[in-house]
Amino acid sequence: MEAGSSLSHKSEETEAQGDTVCTEVKEHDAEATNPEDGIREAVTEEAQNDECEGSVCSTEEEVVPDEEKDASSDKELSDSASTDNTLEDSSEFSGRPLVVCEKKELCSPFGADLVSSHREEDVTAESWRMHRKHVFVLSEAGKPIYSRYGNEEALSSTMGVMMALVSFVQSGNNIIHSIYSDDHKVVFLQRGPLVLVSVSRTLQSEIQLHSELLYVYYQIISMLTQASVARIFERKKNYDLRRLLTGSEKILDNLLNLIDSDPSFLLGAVQCLPLSSSLRESLSQILQKATTSNLVFSILIAKNQLVTIVQERTVIDDTRLDPVDLHLLLNLIRASSAFQAGEVWTPICLPRFNPNGYFYAYISYLDPDCTVCLLLLSTDREAFYSISDCKKKIEESMATHNSIQAISSALQSQSYSISLLGVPDLRHFMYKPLDIPENHKQLTQLTSPEVEAPYCSEEEKVRLFDLYRYLHSRIHSTTRPLRLIYHVAEKETLLAWEQLLLLWLMV
Amino acid sequence: MAAGTQCKQYPPTLLSFFIYNPKFGPKEGEEEKKILFYYPNEQEKNEKIRNVGLCEAIVQFTRTFCPTKPAKSLHTQKNRQFFHEPEENFWMVMVVRNPMIEKQSKDGKPVAEYQEDEILDTVYNAVLQQCYSMYKLFNGTFLKAIEMGGAEILKQRLEKFFFRYLQTLHLQHCDLLDVFGGISFFPLDKMTYLKIQSFINQMEESLGLVKYTAFLYNDQLIWSGLEQEDMRTLYKYLTTSLFPRHSESELSGRDPPVRMPISGSLQHYGRFLTGPLNPHDPEAKCRFPKIFVNTNNAYEELNLIVYKAMTAVVCFMTDASIELTKEFCCELDRLVGPQLTMLASDICEQYNISRRIAGPEKEPQFKFIYFNHMNLAEKSTIHMRKTPSLSLTSIAPDLLKILGDINSDFARVDDDEEIIVKAMSDFWVVGKKSDQRELYVILNQKNANLIEVNDEVKKLCATQFSNIFFLD
Repeated sequence: MEAGSSLSHKSEETEAQGDTVCTEVKEHDAEATNPEDGIREAVTEEAQNDECEGSVCSTEEEVVPDEEKDASSDKELSDSASTDNTLEDSSEFSGRPLVVCEKKELCSPFGADLVSSHREEDVTAESWRMHRKHVFVLSEAGKPIYSRYGNEEALSSTMGVMMALVSFVQSGNNIIHSIYSDDHKVVFLQRGPLVLVSVSRTLQSEIQLHSELLYVYYQIISMLTQASVARIFERKKNYDLRRLLTGSEKILDNLLNLIDSDPSFLLGAVQCLPLSSSLRESLSQILQKATTSNLVFSILIAKNQLVTIVQERTVIDDTRLDPVDLHLLLNLIRASSAFQAGEVWTPICLPRFNPNGYFYAYISYLDPDCTVCLLLLSTDREAFYSISDCKKKIEESMATHNSIQAISSALQSQSYSISLLGVPDLRHFMYKPLDIPENHKQLTQLTSPEVEAPYCSEEEKVRLFDLYRYLHSRIHSTTRPLRLIYHVAEKETLLAWEQLLLLWLMV
Repeated sequence: MAAGTQCKQYPPTLLSFFIYNPKFGPKEGEEEKKILFYYPNEQEKNEKIRNVGLCEAIVQFTRTFCPTKPAKSLHTQKNRQFFHEPEENFWMVMVVRNPMIEKQSKDGKPVAEYQEDEILDTVYNAVLQQCYSMYKLFNGTFLKAIEMGGAEILKQRLEKFFFRYLQTLHLQHCDLLDVFGGISFFPLDKMTYLKIQSFINQMEESLGLVKYTAFLYNDQLIWSGLEQEDMRTLYKYLTTSLFPRHSESELSGRDPPVRMPISGSLQHYGRFLTGPLNPHDPEAKCRFPKIFVNTNNAYEELNLIVYKAMTAVVCFMTDASIELTKEFCCELDRLVGPQLTMLASDICEQYNISRRIAGPEKEPQFKFIYFNHMNLAEKSTIHMRKTPSLSLTSIAPDLLKILGDINSDFARVDDDEEIIVKAMSDFWVVGKKSDQRELYVILNQKNANLIEVNDEVKKLCATQFSNIFFLD
């Protein structure tokens, strides 16, 4: 997503956006009404306003338009699809993040380097074929949108074949799910006009690969909203969605890397930074006190782990933040180094919460080393200044309590060691409680100790994770779930039951 | 489920089955030439071409990622397709409709819910491979047919064979045993075994034409001179097709079990199951089915002579290029009949003695399935009766599928492993793999814990499988 493009065709776009967002709201009255009210208000205001979004918050306005001209011309040149898309773009979509920099530098939120090294990879090479997991995203018209490895344009004929397979099966009033060969599983997922395909050698179950594709889909939605995507393709079947996603490949890349290493995706839970309960309590209170109208979620993150999350109950009734949405948020922040500068105010969609509407996210790091990040989500587009004030209040309170130092020292020790449990021969485990009482409205959490010897090398870590995935797929199989698994293998013995996945070494 | 909702269960069934070779019609407009066999034949030509095209596309697509290991199955919501390339460029595809439940929705319209995870890939991949093995046993390889008479000859043979064979496929009864494709061996004491060996040697010498022999008793194998893969397929044919056909006709009284002896000869119970019903009948035709063995090297075509006395069966295989005359058949009948009859009663006697020693017959204590990859020996106390059209098992089908899952897990590594799971129904399922042998045990002990289950299985191994499983 380019920073500048939204600013290029101001009035057309803002009006059009007004139209589109209004229709979104109408379609989903069933959802919690308050955030959408907020959006609706913001939109009508905007339609009347001829000012571009940038002017609301930034004093560097003069800098941005220059860059924006370059950016949009870059976009024309890099566009390999038909050029008659530009008008549609402009009228269709803004939602580019707006960056307020303390220093007078332009910060492109999604990275200035539009092409990262592995996009250069040769897709005909053996090494490309040997990747453990490929992920492809394409449109119903067979147009490439994203490929984890290699340039998606170079893969357009392969993607064409994938789409042909999907269509062929569809024409028989059927839905394609997957293809199995000795070493690979190919899993297909279609959501609206997007088709996602995973080609994997990882021995994961089809359901696991399917839910990973869903994560990729949701991450795209978090940037564009489901209704927008549907509308774009309705108007133009062979639209090139890459125009709206340029620069965000690394967000998807990062998501996929996380999925392959972070247990929170596998277990659908959140891993919290281990902290003393008094510290967490005091941080929660600080967040709770710093509130403003339409502020819905206040989230504190330290080095990609959740510290605490506070939810404004009066704004959101009876719903809690889905771990999936939180994972997407954490990934977005983690993948974008540009968020580290200054304060960022950007629209973001939480797909599980409401796939058709935007929240407005205030993102700011609280320490110069960029380890502690504050994330404030509001339904009010214009609330930047009041939200920014909240941040200042939070900063002040945390300074008085020396919270940053406390968090830093907590970060030093990482997770706990398995030896803490005092169970001999136990090498590693993952635990996620299943019996959370509904009324507690807590995020499902998981806990897991440090990965220690003998799982030191990358290869061993991958193998360890594969073992957990295998256990999980059997225990939680949709058709043949099990109460317990005890598996004596060559190098380890595995034990799993509904809540606990264990690994220990046979001597 | 709401009260009053009717639920109709549909098991998996065969939707279509086809064989093609893309090299036979590579050009545009020639696609029909690729198709060598297609069931159901009534399907429209263009439909057939499209379906074959889809398979080609899928195989090509998966080759993009691994050229040597292309697709084996395609999973869709409504059906599953299995792919097998038994000979280079010859593809066999089997399409199975997923099992489904049909519910009556509120507005009276039937709503189908497909249960695709109830089908195990390993099972049906094995069934498809068996289809080829069986065809090859009676017809030789595809390539040889092409060499001999081109695509036309091959098509004729495929049509003739599969038209009948596909009717015998009862996909809803396929399970783990089909994955193993094992052979049930008859337990014998050394003495009797030697008797049988010497009988075979004698017969082979006397009936000079015999190249290979196999000896079965009670539908179980005792000895075979054939190569293992060929015997496996022949065994399946004998036990699931030939023997049942004959026992049926015996029961219905069409074939009298005892023939009137020819004057002067010893009364015996021997008779031909293939070939002439009564070789002494002047009108009798001495035609025997032909089988093809050792197709990888020697490529031999043989006459299959199956001769039975009581529950003992001996198969003699002779070179097909030498015609078998009526004289030969009479000679065989005269020679083998009495000896086989005696042998059969000897075996019966020995077997009864050993069972008496072992103890009174009782319900087998453990429900288990055992398979040895090295000699293909299989044993199941779970299957009370298994024929293609019927499968009576003493455990819930879900548990059999869990066994299938464990078998898939074992197949992933070469190491010896042990897997114990507790199903949602509180049954314990134990799988042990040691040195090419697999054992699956099902325990109905809801309140047992892991340690107790482990001990139970150790007991079983000690009594029934001593010296085999060293996993500890």
